[in-house]
Amino acid sequence: MIMEIVGIIILFAAVRMLLAQDRTERMVYLNVIGFGMSALIALYIQTSFGAIIAITYFVMSTLSSNAIAYSIGRVKDEIILDE
Amino acid sequence: MNEIIGIIIAAVISWLNFVLIDTWMGLPEAPGVKGAEVIGRGIQKRGGDLAGGFFQGNIVCSPDASAGTLLAAIGCFAIGIPEGGFVAAILVFFGNRICADPGYAGTTGALTITVIIAATSYIGLTPEMFIAGMMIAILTIQGLHHPSSSKLLGKIAKKMGRYTEIK
Repeated sequence: MIMEIVGIIILFAAVRMLLAQDRTERMVYLNVIGFGMSALIALYIQTSFGAIIAITYFVMSTLSSNAIAYSIGRVKDEIILDE
Repeated sequence: MNEIIGIIIAAVISWLNFVLIDTWMGLPEAPGVKGAEVIGRGIQKRGGDLAGGFFQGNIVCSPDASAGTLLAAIGCFAIGIPEGGFVAAILVFFGNRICADPGYAGTTGALTITVIIAATSYIGLTPEMFIAGMMIAILTIQGLHHPSSSKLLGKIAKKMGRYTEIK
């Protein structure tokens, strides 16, 4: 029951992400998938180490989201000189 | 307790827990990390509110009270109540420092939801219900319609006196 709810939310966010036009909008939907995946990891591996894996996965996914969002901002500011 | 009713109650508690703590900790005021500003401006460009956009950007780019709420629920589910919540709070604290986020919203959110899970376990709410509830809560903020959710978050920020001064 709980895993089904989480799975449906992940699928919904994945479809929304595919349909999104803007790159920053996609990052926000990706964040929902990150939440859902870490919940699924913990619900599937029901041990203490499963919780550690889930927590580490989520923290690292936010770290990479931060890096990607920062580089999207940098790319927008970029001026191409050889045109 | 009936599972569906439990999940709905847990969703409401998780929503209030993370929105109130994040707003109180000043997430809508300024982008705490570099990437949050880009996402906030993107939401503003699509017709949203800038303070709400910063809030959502901060959720995406650093483990904040929303992450603390989910991860403490996961810790309580797989390790135990309340020691799992404390493990989650420590790991969220390290995660904040790795992301160069100066705030304590994630750690505070993890500790408060641990207390709430421990208290509500007496009326039959389990940590699994909080995991599903937090997923529903994050879906309403991040997954449905960003301009309207950012406007709602901006209104809450204005009420709590935490609205952004950045134009």
